[in-house]
Amino acid sequence: MPQNEVIQGLELDEYKYGFVDEEKHVFRTQPGLSEEVVRQISAQKEEPEWMLEFRLKALQIYESKPMPTWGGDLSKLEETLDEIYFYVRPQDRMERSWDDVPENIKNTFERLGIPEAEQKVLAGVGAQYESEMVYHSLKEEWESKGVIFDSIEDGLKNHPELFRKYFGTVIPSADNKFSAMNSAVWSGGSFVYIPKGVELETPLQAYFRVNQERMGQFERTLIIADEGSRAHYIEGCTAPTYSTESFHSGVIEIVVNRGAHFRYTTIQNWSNNMYNLVTQRALVHEHATMEWLDGNLGSKLTMKYPSCYLVGEGAHGNILSIAYAGDGQHQDTGGKVIHAAPRTTSSIVSKSISKGTGRSSYRGLCKVYDGAVGAKSNVECDALLINETSRTDTYPYIEIEEKRSNIGHEATVSKVGDEQLFYLMSRGMSEEEAMALIVRGFIEPIAKQLPLEYAVELNRLIELEMEGSVG
Amino acid sequence: MAETTTIEGVTEAINRAAVEARSHGEPAWLAQRRAHAWSVYESLPLPTTRREEWRYTDLRRVLDLDALHLGSTEAGPDDPSSYPERLRATMNEDHEAAGHLVFIDGAVVHTDIRDDLASLGVILMPLRQAVREHPELVESHLATEAVPPEEGKFAALNAALWSDGVFLYVPRGVRLDNPVRVTRWISEAGAAFFSRTLIVAESTSQVSYVDEILSDDFDTQTLASAAVEVITRDGAQVQYVSLQRMGRGAFYQSKQRTLAGRDSTLDTLNVTLGASVSRVDLNARLMGPGANSDMLGLYFGDDDQHFDHNTSQDHEAPSARSDLLYKGALDGHARAAFRGIIRVHEGAQQTDAYQTNRNLLLSEHARADSLPNLEIEADDVKCSHGSTVGQLDDDHLFYLMSRGLSREKAERLVVVGFLGEVMSRLPLGGVVEKVTRAIAEKLRA
Amino acid sequence: MSTSPILKIENLHAKVADEDLEILKGVDLSLHEGEIHAIMGPNGSGKSTLAKVLAGHPGYEVTGGTATFKGEEILELEPDERSQAGIFLAFQYPVEIPGVSIANFLRTALQAHLEEGEELDLFDFQDLLLDRMKLLDMDPVFAERPVNDGFSGGEKKRNEILQMACLKPALALMDETDSGLDIDALKIVANGVNKLREENPEMTVLLITHYQRLLNYIKPDHVHVMVDGRIVRSGGPEVALQLEEEGYKDWTETEPAGA
Repeated sequence: MPQNEVIQGLELDEYKYGFVDEEKHVFRTQPGLSEEVVRQISAQKEEPEWMLEFRLKALQIYESKPMPTWGGDLSKLEETLDEIYFYVRPQDRMERSWDDVPENIKNTFERLGIPEAEQKVLAGVGAQYESEMVYHSLKEEWESKGVIFDSIEDGLKNHPELFRKYFGTVIPSADNKFSAMNSAVWSGGSFVYIPKGVELETPLQAYFRVNQERMGQFERTLIIADEGSRAHYIEGCTAPTYSTESFHSGVIEIVVNRGAHFRYTTIQNWSNNMYNLVTQRALVHEHATMEWLDGNLGSKLTMKYPSCYLVGEGAHGNILSIAYAGDGQHQDTGGKVIHAAPRTTSSIVSKSISKGTGRSSYRGLCKVYDGAVGAKSNVECDALLINETSRTDTYPYIEIEEKRSNIGHEATVSKVGDEQLFYLMSRGMSEEEAMALIVRGFIEPIAKQLPLEYAVELNRLIELEMEGSVG
Repeated sequence: MAETTTIEGVTEAINRAAVEARSHGEPAWLAQRRAHAWSVYESLPLPTTRREEWRYTDLRRVLDLDALHLGSTEAGPDDPSSYPERLRATMNEDHEAAGHLVFIDGAVVHTDIRDDLASLGVILMPLRQAVREHPELVESHLATEAVPPEEGKFAALNAALWSDGVFLYVPRGVRLDNPVRVTRWISEAGAAFFSRTLIVAESTSQVSYVDEILSDDFDTQTLASAAVEVITRDGAQVQYVSLQRMGRGAFYQSKQRTLAGRDSTLDTLNVTLGASVSRVDLNARLMGPGANSDMLGLYFGDDDQHFDHNTSQDHEAPSARSDLLYKGALDGHARAAFRGIIRVHEGAQQTDAYQTNRNLLLSEHARADSLPNLEIEADDVKCSHGSTVGQLDDDHLFYLMSRGLSREKAERLVVVGFLGEVMSRLPLGGVVEKVTRAIAEKLRA
Repeated sequence: MSTSPILKIENLHAKVADEDLEILKGVDLSLHEGEIHAIMGPNGSGKSTLAKVLAGHPGYEVTGGTATFKGEEILELEPDERSQAGIFLAFQYPVEIPGVSIANFLRTALQAHLEEGEELDLFDFQDLLLDRMKLLDMDPVFAERPVNDGFSGGEKKRNEILQMACLKPALALMDETDSGLDIDALKIVANGVNKLREENPEMTVLLITHYQRLLNYIKPDHVHVMVDGRIVRSGGPEVALQLEEEGYKDWTETEPAGA
């Protein structure tokens, strides 16, 4: 079969971003989590007293909460928590120009293609390496219109009032065990403010890289899209493959004010030793729209349910989720939509693919409070199973208190059928090509929502992952 | 923890002494099973809403075990003319039957079975009598495969304290053309009743079974607890229908499990209309290749009724099919929860499993929660589930009203049509009419 | 007429994979280039199975006999290799491929038919697709729809003919292409096949059908009757007319091995 050679030529089944950089850091805390560690982080950042108090209080909440017993298996992570570095400072300060970023770190991001993309298609770029943002830059055009795109630390220093007004309001420390942990040890992440009426034509991008073995990355992002503004924020994540567990636990808070339109895209391709436990939530006000586009391809275990709290009349929430679980991976993902105001609308579309021993679980909540008259929500989950050993679960919670609402949920599970494969093969395609075509078709409704270069990348990743799935 | 100091659910009436009293005069194996079940009961905490399957029913709020006494198990005379009016009425509605059992409170007052069926070896009798007369059949099936005490707090309590029940045995190849009808009337307020049903259909036999429970309203909380075990062997066909039409003040709890053998058909219909609180657990296990289960449910709540249906479809063998449809309408402050799960076990290839829950909210204050889950560990499967919560379609109403119907009549018609879809899939003589009439009564109320 | 047949089937036996159910019980059949053959037979006679076995359907296992296409044995080839060799199966029940547009699908298929290292030019492909759709009186918008997803029966069959028109096979196996079509849809589909034949008279066609009516629109040179896994009679178009009058009843009853 000549077609096979095409695929063989691609050198597949290798995690492309698994390279390791020489480990260099200027400071890191002792392994494990303690009050001392929290105080050190705060001191390193020269924070105001209120933030130290906020962190210490969060630490107490963290310690009082049990580990979640639902979702994925966290026992391995729990065992190694004492060995994990909660804070690693890679360099002394954040740079505005790639030329000033230390060579080894710059090389990493160059290999990931970030500076190139910045030139071509992005309004601004942030890059986090270990615990700190090492680079942040925003095109002048947007800076002059009052857009703020900064590291979260600089957000706290330079915009203390705006920062304090919103920080920790969308996701309180006590929301869950990992939001409490993040609130205690957060470091890095972005602070974004889009002023009233400003429409960003190209996306902002943040890039997260973990290089240090056995470290935890706890970025914290706060985004405020003011009235009538429009913007798109993209985050990408990678890490080298180590034999020990690594840990990423971010908290993303977004406020979408009246009439604004905000989209947050994640293409997560962490190495498959990473525990990725992220809390992402948006507060959506009158006639505003929030869109989460959540692509989970990497990590060992991801537990992540982007949420839209629709608190203003006519608010709209949209969650598109795509998960790929390969051998040994568990993607426990989904979304939450909370309708707390009249005529709010939402939609969740989830597509998952399980291959080999991979397991993908959809977990979602659609809640309509009494008084959310005219709320409409539609949830669609489709799961595709590639092998006999693959697994998929669907756990959709639907809680409706308002009569004048319309809520629907549909889910299907299918496998790549022998008939489908035969049909395509009878038209001349090899089995691999046929499989890849079917999978591409399966994710097409979501891939088409991505900016072109990401859609291409997603398709390419999926195609690479599909190699070797046959036979 | 709290359970170690005071054992949850042990009260002045519900305790080990009561279990021992029930065991009095029973064969040793049964006494041992009751004692074991009681130990399991004591070892389990009362489920809280932190447990997924109890997320929507807070037992601590809706059930007061301390206030309950054990209901009477003394049988009165078998005199149909002395039956309460509603009991007589519902029995008069029934079409022909293969046999009847009538309970009043905890005791069986009447049993009959058609002679021709008895001569073919069909057994229909009170469970206590079956323990004496068919010990080997009862011992091998009762509370073993189907609803063992380890299933949960209520399963354990029922296995320890059941006072009587029904035993139905259909021998190999025997096919009953008319349903078996069991009717229970509960009258004693403040009491707790525990009954069991054990149905065994041997290979290629056929039977349908209608289990109806009803009562007037109660001033004080009254508990009716049921455990239902249905076992179909290869190629058998069984239909099990439960109609719950209890009055307000009743707490109805039913734990049902069906075991479907190779190429058997095991269909169930749960109709929930009455009681203040109703909790039905149905677990369908598809254990043989080619097994087939239609699982139907229908509920209509008003005032402050609280219904909770918890279902599971366990596909343990390949090439089996299960199709669940639960539909409900909710008026007043009524609240309904549906939680279902399809589990396709490893190796259960060529499974077809479907699960649909649809809710119609008729009032501002009604609430519906729906949680249809899937857990799939085989790849060659066809599974889907769907859930909807909606209101009456204005277009439908308008269409009917434009043809001259009043709004109330139009609404009634739409609700009956919405719920009627469920019954049309299990058109058992007498049941459709009975349920339709009961829904219409509720709509008029 | 050339002496060596393009498709030669000898004593072909096949059973359902994973089961001991033999369906083809010794089929002999020869097709020469440019001929149109029709195989007719009652339900369950094995005529559809024959088409699927020739295309390499994984649901069947060949247990004996041979089939050569252009002199080469094909029964060991994968379905895609048979397709690349020039065999096309128009499915009785075309399969839905959600999310994959017909254009994308056809481009991938045509690429697969090219020699190694050859790249299908996008503009050439567009031209070809438009040309083929025009030939079949199809709206170009059709090519943007996902393959068979949500199609009516007639649309699915037209899609099969469009694929055939693009892939230009040497041998077209048409598996009950007429089933589930009303007379108008049937005419459209038959018209398409006839146009392709006009364009390429060398194309050989094997029609599998239950009914005679398709043969009013696509005229066969030879008609075979298949019963219980064997060809029991062969002749000219008159055989079909005879069957139409008499039905399959006599065949199934007189055939001793008949089920």
